[in-house]
Amino acid sequence: MGAAGSKLEKALGDQFPEGERYFGFENFGNTCYCNSVLQALYFCVPFREQLLEYYTSNKSVADAEENLMTCLADLFSQISSQKKKTGVIAPKRFVQRLKKQNELFRSYMHQDAHEFLNYLLNEVVDILEKEAKATKTEHETSSSSSPEKIPNGLKVPQANGVHKEPIVTWVHNIFQGILTNETRCLRCETVTARDETFLDLSLDIEQNSSITSCLKNFSSTETLHAEDKFFCDKCCSLQEAQKRMKIKKPPHILVIHLKRFKYIEQLGRYKKLSYRVVFPLELKLSNTVEPYADIEYSLFAVVVHVGSGPNHGHYVSLVKSHNHWLFFDDENVEMIEESAVQTFFGSSQEYSSNTDHGYILFYESLGPTK
Amino acid sequence: MMNNSNGMISAPSSSSSPAANPQSPGIKTYFKTPEGKYKLHYEKTHSSGLLHYAHGKTVTQVTLAQLKERAAPTTPTATSSGYSASSGFRSATARLLGTGNGSRALSFGGGNGGSKSMSTSSRISGSFTASNSSTSMTNTNFDGKGTYLVFNVSDAIFICDLNSQDKDPVKSIHFSNSNPMCHAFDPDAKDGHDLLIGLNSGDVYTVSLRQQLQDVSKKLVGPLHYNKDGSVNNNRCTSISWVPGGDGAFVVAHADGNLYVYEKNKDGATDSTFPAIRDPTQFSVDKAKYSKSNPVARWHICQGSINSIAFSNDGAHLATVGRDGYLRIFDFATQKLVCGGKSYYGALLCCSWSMDGKYILTGGEDDLVQVWSMEDRKVVAWGEGHNSWVSGVAFDSYWSSPNSDGSGEHVMYRFGSVGQDTQLLLWDLEMDEIVVPLRRAPGGSPTYSTGSQSAHWDNVIPMGTLQPAPCKRDVPKLSPIIAHRVHTEPLSGLMFTQESVVTACREGHLKIWTRPSESEIQSNSCSEANPTSSLLSTSFPPKITKPH
Repeated sequence: MGAAGSKLEKALGDQFPEGERYFGFENFGNTCYCNSVLQALYFCVPFREQLLEYYTSNKSVADAEENLMTCLADLFSQISSQKKKTGVIAPKRFVQRLKKQNELFRSYMHQDAHEFLNYLLNEVVDILEKEAKATKTEHETSSSSSPEKIPNGLKVPQANGVHKEPIVTWVHNIFQGILTNETRCLRCETVTARDETFLDLSLDIEQNSSITSCLKNFSSTETLHAEDKFFCDKCCSLQEAQKRMKIKKPPHILVIHLKRFKYIEQLGRYKKLSYRVVFPLELKLSNTVEPYADIEYSLFAVVVHVGSGPNHGHYVSLVKSHNHWLFFDDENVEMIEESAVQTFFGSSQEYSSNTDHGYILFYESLGPTK
Repeated sequence: MMNNSNGMISAPSSSSSPAANPQSPGIKTYFKTPEGKYKLHYEKTHSSGLLHYAHGKTVTQVTLAQLKERAAPTTPTATSSGYSASSGFRSATARLLGTGNGSRALSFGGGNGGSKSMSTSSRISGSFTASNSSTSMTNTNFDGKGTYLVFNVSDAIFICDLNSQDKDPVKSIHFSNSNPMCHAFDPDAKDGHDLLIGLNSGDVYTVSLRQQLQDVSKKLVGPLHYNKDGSVNNNRCTSISWVPGGDGAFVVAHADGNLYVYEKNKDGATDSTFPAIRDPTQFSVDKAKYSKSNPVARWHICQGSINSIAFSNDGAHLATVGRDGYLRIFDFATQKLVCGGKSYYGALLCCSWSMDGKYILTGGEDDLVQVWSMEDRKVVAWGEGHNSWVSGVAFDSYWSSPNSDGSGEHVMYRFGSVGQDTQLLLWDLEMDEIVVPLRRAPGGSPTYSTGSQSAHWDNVIPMGTLQPAPCKRDVPKLSPIIAHRVHTEPLSGLMFTQESVVTACREGHLKIWTRPSESEIQSNSCSEANPTSSLLSTSFPPKITKPH
């Protein structure tokens, strides 16, 4: 391991970024799904910074009560405070906590990296919200500025008509976007818009397509008819309607999940789609509402699934840090050329020796998204 | 929405086609355009035995090479009187008179070099006089004229006879040291060295194509070798081109953003040295330290790879596109940046000039085909229709508008694009329709009353500046007249010849699609009132959408 570390240091030479640490993660038996996602999150700079800040300001509290977030914060702090620049760390406490908390991840079975990412982010949100609520009740009468409130116009109306202010945590500030689901009744032309929030976008994929095209399809207009009519409040009846999904507020960090694991009814099981889906290093969203039309995103991490099936295989990640691309494979960390990212697009033939496929993409906004 | 994105969906291909391809299930062997049917005529590929370990790491590029008669070269003007190569379009009058246009029907007259039968030539009209017809059928040693396709796959260069039904190449050249990446051909090369080859290692060769064809070995014969073992630049050659009218000068673009100018009549044995690049973010041109060495000059163009270069027909301008997403247009003689601009997002992968030098097409990772105007020094249209990156673009210089009146007032361009979505798209561009409505009267238009966004259309772009990425709503959109899935693999190349459209996929399979026959075009012109009615399901009306 030490030799591998020094190899990376040698490769970077005096270009080794100041204060940065590149550490591989030990694998505790099929925990690569976890390792690959943790690396991507560590190199998601706003997430890392917020978590480390949280860690420093809540150190005493964290000692008292362990949860998944304190374990993650502890791991990140452990990495960033290493004396050596490269090496291997065992994320033991985090993995133990994860297994203790969720039986899904308890087995030694192959797990889905996207499911894990989703679980982790929601868990962190829950913890932050609980803490925020606790602080809120403490300072009920005082005009506390924290937690932040969603600015006007972005209120999510509750079903019962009561406007409950949702708590906006720093995880929301980083990852959350708002989708608007526009339905236009074809009889009275009334447009009904319903907003929903997201922390990542799951996209259907097609052979030999691009992320741009997958996003376009995600927002393409769908006609609701026959069995699938829409109840129009104005017409007070079921009507044919056109529906489309647009991005009302793009997130600061855009996480795109490619639906590579598809349930095939005839087979009665999931199948991996090895389709070639190209993802550019820079991206703009075509399906946004003005004034967010031309916001540019830059790719900084890719979680890659290696293998031909859904129930086995391996996860690795590609990470861009200080304009260098790095390849994380459990304890191994290597430098790669930017052009090597192309080798993870997928395969244009169904049976191919290339089984390394981009699965979760992390893009960071280069412009204002707020 | 996607009709056949999944390779396993089998659309019934026309059973009558003799060229049905067992290797490409679900791919139709023809596609319809307003002017008629384009049919799959020939396919070319490398010998299937070649499945080298490096296969897949190279992307196939194609070069069209027309060899002239060896002795006493005849001028090509004698062969096609009705058409001027530099005009970009021909008048309808000329076509109706049939001058030199019979060739457009089906002019494949068996192989050059006497290899193949004449069985496919039944439709050749008596007046057929295209320059690539084989007049010396008995000549087996490639002495006569002929039209060839040169393409690279893995560690080899393959040469196919365009007009032969033979699927296999007539020649393969294997490189032991590195993989060939790009190539270019000059039919007017004076000393016989007409083919340029750039390698992954940065090495560059010039050879005589005829000499390669006549040799039976699988080695490169009689090459001149430049940038040996990457001594000047060891980054991958990405694009290579002769300088039109440049008296043997050629340029080579590399993956590190540098471009080198070579003079062919100079010895490559003396290594060139160049001063260090002062500022990698800035464009700079440096001469070699010693006047005797080759290359003679280095152009540092950008950070990251130069992906493609193209000279305007007259050799005055050089266009480059690259990883940084910028199209740059240089005055080659003065070594100055004329203009340029950024893609919507992502790298640009390909570029191509119109025959008249007025427009440049680019394609890239934003799935768009951009039309750049030299007069306006900005993007004047975006072609939307690909579902993946655009890897090849070209104007169809042999096409003329069916309703053009020959006066030149109604200028219309036809161009094509191929993408990693395996599709070939054809587009029509009517410039008077697209540019004029966008010019706003001073004081603002009803659509854009305020804001700086619309500056894209108002500002006069000064010389020598690069434009930022335009805003989406400022650029008029084009829709393709047809979209056809031509291969099962992502595409990498597109060419128009007088008789056909040539498409290439990354893995080294080529398809040659013949243009609609003359009779078909004429019968079709009756139904031209509604050209879209006969199109494929994936087609769109050839309308320009103005920004809303």
